[in-house]
Amino acid sequence: MPLPKRVVEPVHVARGTIPEDFPLPSELEAVTNGTLANTIRQLSSLSRHAEDLFGELAKEAHGLSDRANSLQARIDRLAVKVIQLDSNVEEVSLQDIHMRKAFKSSVVFDQQVVSRDTMPTAMMETYHLCDSPPPLNKLNDYRDDGKDGLKFYTDPNYFFDLWSQEMLKDTEKKLHDRGKKTESEYAEPFREPHRPRNDGGGSGGGRHKKRVRQPHNTRERQRQIAVGHGEYIMPSQGIQYRSSHGIPDEALLGMVMTEPRPPRPNSIELRRSYPPEEHQIYSPPMSEHYRAANYTGQVQGYEDSAYGSHYAPGQGQSGSDTYQSPGAPGTPNRFGRSRPSQPPPAPPSNASSNSTPTIASANNTPTRGRSMSTGRDTLPPPPPPPGEPMSPPSMNGTLPSHLLNRNGSRSNSPLPNHQSTPTVASVHLGQMMPIGTDETESVPQDLPPPPPTPDPAPPRPVSPPCNIPPPPPPPPPPPISNGPPLAPQMPITNGDIAKMIVNNPPKLKPLKSIVDGQLRKPNNPNLPAPVDPRNDLLKAIRDGIKLRKVEKIEQKEVERVNALNDVASILARRVAVEFSDSDSASESECDSEGWGEQENTSATNVA
Amino acid sequence: MSTTHREAIQKQIQQDWANREYIEVITGSIKKITDFLNSFDMSCRSRLAVLNEKLTTLERRIEYLEACVTKGETLT
Repeated sequence: MPLPKRVVEPVHVARGTIPEDFPLPSELEAVTNGTLANTIRQLSSLSRHAEDLFGELAKEAHGLSDRANSLQARIDRLAVKVIQLDSNVEEVSLQDIHMRKAFKSSVVFDQQVVSRDTMPTAMMETYHLCDSPPPLNKLNDYRDDGKDGLKFYTDPNYFFDLWSQEMLKDTEKKLHDRGKKTESEYAEPFREPHRPRNDGGGSGGGRHKKRVRQPHNTRERQRQIAVGHGEYIMPSQGIQYRSSHGIPDEALLGMVMTEPRPPRPNSIELRRSYPPEEHQIYSPPMSEHYRAANYTGQVQGYEDSAYGSHYAPGQGQSGSDTYQSPGAPGTPNRFGRSRPSQPPPAPPSNASSNSTPTIASANNTPTRGRSMSTGRDTLPPPPPPPGEPMSPPSMNGTLPSHLLNRNGSRSNSPLPNHQSTPTVASVHLGQMMPIGTDETESVPQDLPPPPPTPDPAPPRPVSPPCNIPPPPPPPPPPPISNGPPLAPQMPITNGDIAKMIVNNPPKLKPLKSIVDGQLRKPNNPNLPAPVDPRNDLLKAIRDGIKLRKVEKIEQKEVERVNALNDVASILARRVAVEFSDSDSASESECDSEGWGEQENTSATNVA
Repeated sequence: MSTTHREAIQKQIQQDWANREYIEVITGSIKKITDFLNSFDMSCRSRLAVLNEKLTTLERRIEYLEACVTKGETLT
């Protein structure tokens, strides 16, 4: 039913123009006068409507002009800004990006287009002429469900609520579906797949755990940093090197303290992870060195065999053989023969490092021979500083041989006890220490007090000048080297570390305890320290997540509250959801249709 | 007498017709005015609507351009 916006009154100009109870001399004139009067009324009404009409038009035009003016101003500003734009200057620096606001449209969408607020005055007048609905709201006090009784009679918001609820439900449904799609891994298996879902949750937790485990990474970083102090040991062989280094320390301690065995077990434990490999590793570089020496031909076969025995025994009955080698060459000969045949399990790094060690070994072999045959006047090159990454292992290996030779001859009794390869190595190292001192002091005996600091020192100075009695080598490098190797080991295998610690304390002697103490102390603090930060991080992360969620919930609540009353928010949300789903067009059309319907309905309501 | 009375009545009727014609002209004019006002209102509203639409698109474009040009400073 068309609803006239403005009605010019009176509609019937000539009706009822004759007064009934008043005698008239001329009825025709009365009708004419009455009709004219009504026409004048019509004109007045028309003028009023025209004024209202022009007022509306003027108001609308004024609004448009304002918008146009503001738009013109924006265009001018934009023009100035565009002119000032310098294409050479980077638009946004990386730092400014964070400061940059996300683009948010300030366009206000018209909504509630048909409501009492937007009702034109002319129509409002007509509306006021309507009969008001029966005051059913006065019966609200007697309703138990708390609903507004008047809404059962008339509800201007009925269609909007219907539409908004439908929209919200649709969006929720779509969100849910999309969530299922996206989170199919997690959410799809809702019933049966509870387990898989749990797994998914676990994976989600895994993410959290991953975050939590970042401390792990940091821990590794710390390890690496700790290792960084002794960067040399960093390579994959670090373990082996450590073992070797640890062995020397133990050997030193054992030598000093005359307790070789405890150190052995330590070394073994250290090597636990790679027990066979370590043996081979120790042996192989040694064998290679000896081979090199053999190929060089500087070393005599007899001695070679003896040396080979030393290193080969590293795998088997090394200790006794090596030490016995000088005394009983026969046994070593076997090993020596077998040794060449043995494939040298050369770790790449070792192989690379072998070059240097080979030289040392060559020198060592002659030195050994000398030490074996004559004396220690020409001391073998002191053990290379453990600190060096690649060379140290080889050097150590070579050195132990020297030590073994010399020390073995002298301190056979303790050495034979150590038959295990690690023990041998430890013995070698231990002998190394005394040897270095011997070299410097030219005293063959192991007993000469080799304080831990002097022990490490000898290797470096000795190594370069074999014959020259080097001044006391710098003590710091050895401890450093020791520290790093142990440190890396510690982090690698926690359980092993703990075992190490447990085993070490009894085995370690004062000197060792000191050296190890340095190493262990950092390790121990490292272990607990990372754990605490993890917990803190976990808590922090969890808290942060919770906070975020809470914020989101609040935001969602606010959005929902707005959404209930805000067509734009509903549509925007729906559009966003559907854009993500990629069937926006049809849905939006439907929306618009619904909205149009609502407009009509609301209009009717208004009417 | 009859003739005079008849003439008087005819005169009144003619006058009435004249008055009716006059009123018809007036009401017709009022209708024309109303039609004009209606058509004027409609044309004005349609033109204003077109203008409004153009302004809206322009505002959006300008907003986009401003967003492109601005370096983070808040826009009005």
